[in-house]
Amino acid sequence: MNRETVIRVENVSKCINRGRPNEVWPVRGVSLEIERAQCVVLKGPSGSGKTSLLSLIGCMSRPTEGRILLHGRDVAKLPERFLTEIRRNTFGFIFQQFNLIPGITVKENVMLPLYPTEMGLTEIKTRAERLMKKLRIYERRHFHVKGLSGGEQQRVAIARALINDPEIILADEPTAHLDTRLSVELIEILKGLKEEGKTLVIATHDPLVYEQGFVDRVVEMRDGRVI
Amino acid sequence: MKYRLFISIIMVEIVILAILFIRGAGLAGKYQKDIEARRMLVSTLMLTDLSIWTEARYTRHPSQTDIFSPFQDYPSSIEHFPAGSILSPEGVYLQRGGKK
Amino acid sequence: MIKHLKILEFALSSLWRRKFKNLGLIVVFSLIIFTLSSIVFLTYSFKREAVAVLKDAPELIVQRLSAGRHEMMPVEYMKKIKDIPGVGKIVPRLWGYYYDISTGGNYTVMALREGLQDKISLMEGSFVVGSGSCVVGRGVADARFLDIGSIMPLIGADGKVRRFRVAGIFTDESNLLTNDLVIIGEKDFREVFRIPQSIATDIVVQIYNPTEVDNIARKIKEALPDTRPITRREILRTYDTLFDWRSGMVLTMFLGAILAFVILAWDKATGLSAEERHEIAILKAIGWETSDVMELKFWEGFIISSLSFLTGLIGGYLHIYFFGASIFSPALKGWSVIFPEFRLVPYINIYQIAVLLFFTVIPYMAATIVPSWKAAITDPDVVMRG
Repeated sequence: MNRETVIRVENVSKCINRGRPNEVWPVRGVSLEIERAQCVVLKGPSGSGKTSLLSLIGCMSRPTEGRILLHGRDVAKLPERFLTEIRRNTFGFIFQQFNLIPGITVKENVMLPLYPTEMGLTEIKTRAERLMKKLRIYERRHFHVKGLSGGEQQRVAIARALINDPEIILADEPTAHLDTRLSVELIEILKGLKEEGKTLVIATHDPLVYEQGFVDRVVEMRDGRVI
Repeated sequence: MKYRLFISIIMVEIVILAILFIRGAGLAGKYQKDIEARRMLVSTLMLTDLSIWTEARYTRHPSQTDIFSPFQDYPSSIEHFPAGSILSPEGVYLQRGGKK
Repeated sequence: MIKHLKILEFALSSLWRRKFKNLGLIVVFSLIIFTLSSIVFLTYSFKREAVAVLKDAPELIVQRLSAGRHEMMPVEYMKKIKDIPGVGKIVPRLWGYYYDISTGGNYTVMALREGLQDKISLMEGSFVVGSGSCVVGRGVADARFLDIGSIMPLIGADGKVRRFRVAGIFTDESNLLTNDLVIIGEKDFREVFRIPQSIATDIVVQIYNPTEVDNIARKIKEALPDTRPITRREILRTYDTLFDWRSGMVLTMFLGAILAFVILAWDKATGLSAEERHEIAILKAIGWETSDVMELKFWEGFIISSLSFLTGLIGGYLHIYFFGASIFSPALKGWSVIFPEFRLVPYINIYQIAVLLFFTVIPYMAATIVPSWKAAITDPDVVMRG
C-alpha cells in the first residue's frame, strides 16, 4: 500500500486572545503525520485541544506557530481565498453540532458546499441524490432539517461533507449527540468511508469509536499536547 | 428552480415597465395635437395658469398672485392649504426676487 | 455564471424561509415606491404640461398693487403704457372669482369681447358669449349638472340673480386649463360685478421685439410705480419651480410609513442575529469564500429591493396615468370643491427615477450587505466550538 504522507503537522501551536489577560494556548507544539487512507483518532478529555487541532488541520484557522503541510505544501501562510479553496476541495467536515442550516430542505443542505463553484446544478443534484440514497435519507430529501431525528441529521451532515468528494474527512465528536445504536450505525458509515480510501481524522473521547478495529492510530492529547 | 421564477418575474416587470414607458413616449407624440389645441386656448383666452386648485387665489393663479398671499397670516406660518403639499410658495417667492 | 445563479438560488431559498416577513417587507417597500413614484410622475407631468401649454400665455401682464394686494386697474393706465416705444397692442383683461353658494365651489369668471371666438377648439357646443350666454368648464358643468342649453345663474353685486344660458362646455382634454372657468361677455361681466367701464382687472401688453420684454417691463414699472409687470418668462419659471414633491403633506403623510419601513429594514438588515452569524460561519466552514457570502447577501438585498422597486414603479405609473391619481386625489384636492379629473400626458423623467432608485434601493442593499461583512471575514472555526 502507498504510504504517502498526506498531512504533516510540525510543531504547531495555536494561541487565542494573544497578549490579553485571557490568553490561552489550546494547542502547544504538536507534531503529527497522517498517511493516506489512515484513520487517526484524536483522543482526550474536553479542553484537551482536539477540536482546535482539527480546525487547524482543516484550514479553518491558522496556527500561531509551526507549519502544517498538506501534500508537502505549507498551508499556514496561504491567503484566505486559497484556504477556502483547499477546504472546499480537500476536506469534508462532520461537526459535533451537525451545523445544518434550518429552514431549507435536506437536499439543499447537502448541495450547499458546491453552490459557489462552477459545477452545474444537475451534476450537483445527481451527486446529492446518490449520497442521500447511500445514507438512507433520500426519502427525506424534501423535508426541512428541523423535522429530522438526530441520526438523520447526522447523516445529512455526512452527506454534505461528502458532496465535494473530499480526500480527507474530519469529524469532531461525531457520536456526541447519538445513542449507542445510532453511534454504531455512524461507525459503520465511517468504516465504509475508510474502505473507500478516504483519510479520516476523528476527534472523540468515545471508546466506542476509538476501540474500533479500523482505527489505525490513536493520538492521545491533554492540555494541548500529544502524550 | 426558484431563480428561474425570480428572473422571469423581474423580466416580466421590466417588460411591462418598458411597454408603459414606450407607450408613454408614443402618447406624448399623439397628445401633441391636444397640446397645440390647449396652447391655442391659452393664447385666445389669455390664460396664465393651470386650473388645478380652486381653494385660494394663490393656488388657482400661482403666477399672478402677490407674494403675500401664501403667507396671509404671518410670514412664517405653515401654509395650510393641502395643495401646498406639491406646490411650494418658495418658488413663487424666489422668482419675484425674494431672498432665500 | 452558473455559480452566481446557484448563489441566487440559495438566496431565494434563504429568504423563502421567512416568507411572511419578507413578503411583508416587499409589500411595504413597494407601497413606498408606489407613493414616491406617483408623486414624481404627477408633479413632473403637471410641470411639463404647464411649460408646454403656457408657452402661449400673454407676453406681459401688468397688474396694479395697492398695499401689497392685487387691485383693479384704471383703464387710463393703458395710455401711459402705450407711449412706451416697442409696445404693440394693449388689451385689458376682466376676470375674477365667484363663490357659488349652492355648490360651495369657487369659479374663475372671465369676460371676453365678442368676435375672436372662431378659433376655439376642445369644446362642445359653440363659443358664443353674447349677452346672456356663457361658456363653462367641465368642472363647473359637473358641479351644477349643466348641459348645453341649461341655465347658469350668477348672483350679482347688487344681489340680483342673472341667468346665463350655457352655450358651450369645454371638453375633458382641456380640464387642466378650463375646469373652473365661467366665461361671459364683457358687458355682462361689468353688470354682474358692478365694475365701471373705467377699470379692468389687469392689462395684457403685446411687445414687438421679444428681447425687449424685460426692458419694457422696467419702463412700465418706472412710469407706473404702483404696478407689477409679470412676464411670460416669469410665469413659465414659476411653473418650473412650483411643483415640488420634497415638502408638503403627501410626503408628510407618508413620512410615518417611510420611517416605519426604515426601522423594519434596519432591524431586518443590520440586526444580524446570532443565528445568521452562525449560518455565515457554517457557509464559510463548508467552503464558501467571504466574497460568496457577500454575494449571497447582495442577492438577498437585490431580490427584495428590485421586486419592490419595479412593482412600485409600475403601480405608480398605472395610478397616475391610467387611474388619474385616484388614490391621491382626496389629499391633492384639499379644499378645492372644483377639481379636475386628470388626463395627464405620461412624461417620464429618467433622472427622477434614478434619484428614486438611489434613495431607496441603494440604502436597502447597503443595509443588507455591510453588516454581514464583519461576520463574513471572521474565521469559520467558531462553528467547531459549538
